[in-house]
Amino acid sequence: MLKYKTFKGGYRFRNFLGQPREQLKELPIPQRVIIPLKQGFGGEVKPLVSPGDKVYAGQIIGRDDENVSSPVHSSVNGEVLKIEKINYFKQEITAIFIEAEPTAEWRPLEGYSADWGKLSPEKIEELIYLSGSASLDKEGIPTRFRSSIISPSEVENLIIHGIGSEIYNLSLRLLLSGKNLFHFIEGIRILKKIFPQAEVHLALNKNFKKLVEEISKITSGFDWLKIYALEPKYPQGYDEMLVPTLLGRPFPYGYSAANIGIVILNTQAVLHVYEAVCEGKPLIERTIALCGEGFRENLHLKVKIGTPLKEIFSPYLRKDKEMRLVLNSLLTGIRLNIFSLPLSRTFSQVIALPENREREFLSFLRLGMRSESYTRTFLSALLRGKKKLNTNIHGEPRPCISCGYCQEVCPVRIIPHLLYRFIERNIIDERLSKYGIFNCLECNLCSFVCPSKLPLAKTIKDGQERLITIGCDRAKCILPYFDLKGLEEYRGIK
Amino acid sequence: MKLVKKFIEGLYLKKSLKRFKPVIKALDEFFFGTDKVTYISLRSPHILDNIDIKRYMFTVIIALMPSVLAAIYLYGLRVILVIFVSYLVGGMVEVISAIFRKKEIQEGFLVTGLIFPLLLPPTIPLWMVGVGIFFGVFIGKEIFGGTGRNIFNPALVGRLFITISFPQALTTSWAEPLRGGLAGFLRYKSDALTSATPLISFKSGHTLTNISELLMGLSSGSIGETFRLGVILGGLFLLYTRVANWRIPLAYLSSVFILSFLGNVFFPDKFAPPLFQLFSGGLLLGAFFMATDPVTSPFSELGKWIFGFGCGLLTVLIRTFSGYVEGVMFSIIIMNGFSPLIDQSILNFRYRYLKR
Repeated sequence: MLKYKTFKGGYRFRNFLGQPREQLKELPIPQRVIIPLKQGFGGEVKPLVSPGDKVYAGQIIGRDDENVSSPVHSSVNGEVLKIEKINYFKQEITAIFIEAEPTAEWRPLEGYSADWGKLSPEKIEELIYLSGSASLDKEGIPTRFRSSIISPSEVENLIIHGIGSEIYNLSLRLLLSGKNLFHFIEGIRILKKIFPQAEVHLALNKNFKKLVEEISKITSGFDWLKIYALEPKYPQGYDEMLVPTLLGRPFPYGYSAANIGIVILNTQAVLHVYEAVCEGKPLIERTIALCGEGFRENLHLKVKIGTPLKEIFSPYLRKDKEMRLVLNSLLTGIRLNIFSLPLSRTFSQVIALPENREREFLSFLRLGMRSESYTRTFLSALLRGKKKLNTNIHGEPRPCISCGYCQEVCPVRIIPHLLYRFIERNIIDERLSKYGIFNCLECNLCSFVCPSKLPLAKTIKDGQERLITIGCDRAKCILPYFDLKGLEEYRGIK
Repeated sequence: MKLVKKFIEGLYLKKSLKRFKPVIKALDEFFFGTDKVTYISLRSPHILDNIDIKRYMFTVIIALMPSVLAAIYLYGLRVILVIFVSYLVGGMVEVISAIFRKKEIQEGFLVTGLIFPLLLPPTIPLWMVGVGIFFGVFIGKEIFGGTGRNIFNPALVGRLFITISFPQALTTSWAEPLRGGLAGFLRYKSDALTSATPLISFKSGHTLTNISELLMGLSSGSIGETFRLGVILGGLFLLYTRVANWRIPLAYLSSVFILSFLGNVFFPDKFAPPLFQLFSGGLLLGAFFMATDPVTSPFSELGKWIFGFGCGLLTVLIRTFSGYVEGVMFSIIIMNGFSPLIDQSILNFRYRYLKR
């Protein structure tokens, strides 16, 4: 059964130059990999190898059974060079440096079976945990090995989504092309087997009509699976938006979906689950998309985890202009500026965005065939040409005129300009929490649409922090309304 | 382009012009876009919307263009002079207050300076235009703290001030529109005067003007309001671009229509029929271009409906029962005063369960 659903607010980004083509290239094995011991959901794990040790591709080189975490693998055959702390995206993380041999073989996990129906749920759980797939996405996959903050029996709902509500997305058609579509569906069935009590929801981009139809046809026999076609409005792919849209349940903003017994997984995570259980493949590779005008070619790459960013980008990056590289999302992503850092499990798309410091003559009078805007004041609204993006702020900061755009696009229906006025005037009291300041998802859409170029999302975040210093906590607004699970563990990780 | 750049750079360097820095900066920003890029922090997006306040205000000006061109055609080249005086005086007030406040010049006056002359009778003496826009921008906006902080629509404040100060000039003499050939494009002004606009004719003698005449601007009235087809097209353009919110004009116009329909059914000699009401006076110009001013109207969605309905109710009541024939200006100004209260009540209602 197919249902169409959406939410109020949000903004549909469409027609951009530099969308990745449906083409997958495998990157050659790098000379050296750097494996961070904290990847994806969970805490940092302890290294199991020491410098000089020989390792094989797929060997578990980091594991910690005491805390919420998942194992980490060597992605190549080779020798451990050194183990040291690196600054990985503002966190001090221990990383293992491995000198690689140019051999592509990897050793499968023990006990996998292509006929997964014969495996016991316990064995499947173990395979998922050992493969590292259990650390994927925002709250991981619960197993009895403490890979998530809740135990498998506490899972009430499983949401699998492939919506692609960002500006640039990994191509869902490519991910699910050929055999992968069946692997994907098998992956969902495997997950159902380890969470027998859970309701399973599959949310897909409503614009991929053929794919949605094909999947609904294949799965028509599964009465436990509900399929939804969603409008790919940003930020529909956020956990905070998927839960209310699909289940009609309120979300405990600021906590995780796992706290209310919901596990949310991406398409690629389900494929990794299939590979772990049926092929015994540990999480040593990741498919990423190279998006944006800054790349000479926009395509998908299969990359070994731990490959330094330099080796991934340098063959593809344009060098004639200054570029800003952004991870996963143009609205909330981190900037990648140190190219010696490695790729981790959390990567799914990398965007190269031209830095534009050029002053444009009479810019406000331009027709704007290729300009992106929430308003329809540019010709691109009528002609639907491919739009270009750059980092320029496109205008001078001005006082708020209450145009209401931020309020219209806010997915959680708070009024950013109202909160902004309070915080700017130093009025920090419980009225802010009453007006929903702690509901903010930090999707940054309000800052994006503002014609006065005000840093609304940043100010709201500052306001939250200042509000906490006067003793008005997020917990007071959220906790009384929910029965949250795994809270202690959650605090431990954050 | 390079010449302009050199000229502006020269201005920046002149020490004698140091005090006029806001003006130079405004010129610079007018001609050239910004060279700033987005912050590199987790809490700000890497890309920003292409819209800025300049383009936002400029869209309103484009939407007013049909009315302005029609006004020149109907009332002669003098209209250009009226607009020029309005921009000159309004711009000066803006510049002087920017210099005193040491802040940048805001683009808001580009719209105020164009809307204000459109609200005036074609026969208005030029000095009165100056007085009106001065009062409107200074008292209506600057003393509240500039763009974004004013409570009342500045153009309407100016119009209200001169309506009360000089009732003779503003309510009794109207020009007959020119027509045929190039009409006003070649003539300074229209010499034929009349004492009646369609609304006055209805109030005094119950004569209804033809709807098509009202639409095409063949009846008398204020400079910018009579070519109503152009006003409607410009208004719809504004709604399409999202610069004006559709809720207010819809609520305003439909409440005028429904209320005057009901009034006309029960008291046909008091209330004018609904279609006539809709297409007469400054209602369309007010509903599309002035009631939708985001600064002075409520920001909440429900508030916008209430605001629009309030404007509609007051317009019909003032037109029907007061000594004035037109109520659009008064109703919008009164509802402007109410908008903070409307918003606050809605906030209190919406968040009533979350207290403490």
